[in-house]
Amino acid sequence: MITQMHLKGLMFDPYNNAYIVVLRDEEGHEMLPIWVGKAEAGAISMALENVAPPRPMTHDFMKSILDAYDAKVISVVITDLNENTYFAKIHLMYQDSEYTVDARPSDAIALALRSNAPVFAKESVLNKQSSEELEQWLENLKPEDFGKLDS
Amino acid sequence: MGQSKSSPDQRLVEYTVDRVVDETNTDTKILVLSRHDGQSDSFPIWIGAAEGHAIKLALDTTLTPRPMSHDLIKSFMEHLNVTVRRIVIGDVKNSTYYASVYLENNGVERLVDARPSDAVSLALRTRAPLYITDDVLTRRNTANLESWLAKQEQKSSSTQQEVQET
Repeated sequence: MITQMHLKGLMFDPYNNAYIVVLRDEEGHEMLPIWVGKAEAGAISMALENVAPPRPMTHDFMKSILDAYDAKVISVVITDLNENTYFAKIHLMYQDSEYTVDARPSDAIALALRSNAPVFAKESVLNKQSSEELEQWLENLKPEDFGKLDS
Repeated sequence: MGQSKSSPDQRLVEYTVDRVVDETNTDTKILVLSRHDGQSDSFPIWIGAAEGHAIKLALDTTLTPRPMSHDLIKSFMEHLNVTVRRIVIGDVKNSTYYASVYLENNGVERLVDARPSDAVSLALRTRAPLYITDDVLTRRNTANLESWLAKQEQKSSSTQQEVQET
């Protein structure tokens, strides 16, 4: 079983000096926080806010290469969670064949956003991540911790 | 020396990646290219810290536990059977360099624009040759460059020493 997830937001985690990508399902029952680095957060934020950079950034370049040969990103699946590290797979369609490529979730999400491809999470990943725990954690964040992407 | 198909009048000079230098004053790095034929010439390009890190990983052939962004690009290309033929730094405007990545798949060639940092990161991982056009080489400003670069490296190595000593 896989569940489609939507990108709910991106925020700064001052305690770990990292960024959190928050994915949530349609009904809002399941939440998946993924910690990413600053550069990765920037790549996601640019696609999220529809900012067209003056120069192709790494994931724009990645998509240009796929476009050059008519390879399409069909979907991205967050497949595993192991010791706080998430794993993802990117499903590609190229010349009537499907290809599956391993990736970090940050790269996979940055590419999915640029390709208008859906992001899914495996049920086992959602079960491992208790959203109750997350909500408590989110409540403890101060309002000023949000929206610090430019810093 | 290979001639670019898209601009036959442009002579290309092959370069290799020499090193990545820390810019001690800002959060940037300097990618230093040197001539492939051994002639003395350093070609610096200012790049971001993350981009510099991606190039350093490839230069040192560091194996990361997870595929980094350019490893993912390489992985895509392996799956699709696309190869990088060469990368060319072919333009400079307001001190910003522009690169082109020449791709090939079963005889079908494609050209993709990139920042030099992304192009170089991919070239190192795919062992593709790197060229700079004559035009770009003559339009750059290299006054006092060598001595300035040496100073930067001295600074960054002395900072490292201080860190080690404490």
